[in-house]
Amino acid sequence: MKPRIWLALFVIPLGLIIAAVPQNTSHPYKLTASQLLEEVNTRTQFITPETVADMIVKKDPTLQLIDVRSQGEFEKFSLPGAINIPIADLLSEEHSGIFDQDAKMNVFYSNSTLMANEAWMLTRQLGYENNYVLEGGLNYWFEVILNPQEPASTSPDEEFAKYDFRKGASQALGGGTVSAQTPETNSAAPKPAIKATPKKKKAAGGC
Amino acid sequence: MGPLSVNELISENTNLFLAFVIGTAFGFVLESSGFSSSRKLAGVFYGYDMVVLKVFFTGAITAMLGLLFFSLFGWVDLDLVYVNPTYLTSAIVGGIIMGLGFIMGGYCPGTSFCGASIGKIDAMVFIIGLFLGVSLFGAGYDWWEKMYLAKFLGSPKISESLGLSDGVFALLLILVALGMFWAAEWAEKKFPREEY
Amino acid sequence: MGESNNTIKRTKYLNPYLGGVLLGLVLLAANFVSGRGLGASGAIKSGVVTVVTAVNPASVENSGFVKEYRESHTGNPMKTWLVFEMLGVLVGGFISGIFAGRLKLKVEHSPKITSNKRLTLALGGGVLFGFGSQLGRGCTSGSALSGMAVLSLGGFITMMAIFGTAFAFAYFFRKNWI
Repeated sequence: MKPRIWLALFVIPLGLIIAAVPQNTSHPYKLTASQLLEEVNTRTQFITPETVADMIVKKDPTLQLIDVRSQGEFEKFSLPGAINIPIADLLSEEHSGIFDQDAKMNVFYSNSTLMANEAWMLTRQLGYENNYVLEGGLNYWFEVILNPQEPASTSPDEEFAKYDFRKGASQALGGGTVSAQTPETNSAAPKPAIKATPKKKKAAGGC
Repeated sequence: MGPLSVNELISENTNLFLAFVIGTAFGFVLESSGFSSSRKLAGVFYGYDMVVLKVFFTGAITAMLGLLFFSLFGWVDLDLVYVNPTYLTSAIVGGIIMGLGFIMGGYCPGTSFCGASIGKIDAMVFIIGLFLGVSLFGAGYDWWEKMYLAKFLGSPKISESLGLSDGVFALLLILVALGMFWAAEWAEKKFPREEY
Repeated sequence: MGESNNTIKRTKYLNPYLGGVLLGLVLLAANFVSGRGLGASGAIKSGVVTVVTAVNPASVENSGFVKEYRESHTGNPMKTWLVFEMLGVLVGGFISGIFAGRLKLKVEHSPKITSNKRLTLALGGGVLFGFGSQLGRGCTSGSALSGMAVLSLGGFITMMAIFGTAFAFAYFFRKNWI
């Protein structure tokens, strides 16, 4: 057979396939490693337990807590209104709508910050914004929100203010009981003020 | 994943090394296809040897299909691949000047290096000409800077400009290219030349 | 080949469609590895900028051309992707030439013209191509071929301008080739 017929037999079907499939409009790997490193170094992804507790208490509809631990752990204890996306399922198609949006503020948490940070890095590198990590994880949450320690009497005033807040939050959040109430709201609450657009780096060109 | 160097999966020096490897493959393919011969290259303009058209368009559609499929599979982020910016005036005027240079000199820059590598003296002279031409452009840059920067359109894709999806445009280009290949085979039979 | 036995002997060359597919794969590799297409004239530009800077360091401030280049490229202009790629082209072409037995110092020209005329025209063509490649931001490989692969509008325009013009003027230069 003539070579050009061979060529046609290959490229026409491939052309038909590429014309028929929808264009890939997702943006994988939007951030370069150095940009990600910069964000990691500046720790912009962390959000303090106080902020999260405050949002939970106020039933802020923009808050979306995401528990990246296993389903079993999630069922034993979770933060109010959290949904469970184990880290293994993070990249599955059904969840992409949760991450790829700009209305809600996703806060990942796990027992420590390790898995939550992994989840954040993955979604961040996919180019999604509005994803955060609960500072210190659940361990720290227990420590500061649910069982706050009274600061030493010599501590500065801010420490006492913090303690009072934590005490209040602890009571509001039921001090360690499992809460499964979801803030089912989609009202026009203020959007979290975010976020710097990642500067895109391109290959240098020119013939 | 890709492009590897933009996503910093490989170091800058690795990138340069791979540039050398890719260049070697480029030169090898050009030479084996006959792009080191100016008379073979010029054949495309007289119909006696359409190798330029065949290789050029087959290469373009192969790479285009490859990139579209790589993008589909998420292997390469097309947003990070360099798309030449379009400056309408300079693209047309520059293209016309290059076309004139092509029919006079019989080479383009890539093929002249290829020809020089196997000892074509005319290719070496052409390269000297290239250096002179680039220097000339640099020396008088202020005179044609306006034209150089005129009618900037950004980096549009031709598919966007035509209102088609990338895939549909790719299919059309493939069909056009195959049509040209058939015409090329016909032309080679119609305008045969003996040994040259 | 086989299908066109009435023309010149081309069996020593790769089948053009196979060559084209291989060329496309090389271009795909360049885009996958480095996010850019192939090129040639950019390497020459690097060379020119290097020479100009070495001969006349003041030119960096005075010449808009050198300045423009320096703004978009950091570091040594010879340590760039295209320079390494073009060194590879020389090596790759040479290797292919060894295999095919095509290594030979010669001036290739139509029997109707002299070597000197061919060389003069090659020089003139080179000057025009060098100039045009800077104006058009890339040559046949950098702008037209690589641009087409990424569906760049500019790439298609440049491609049509190059080949259209060459076709239009082919008649006047026919003696050089046929």
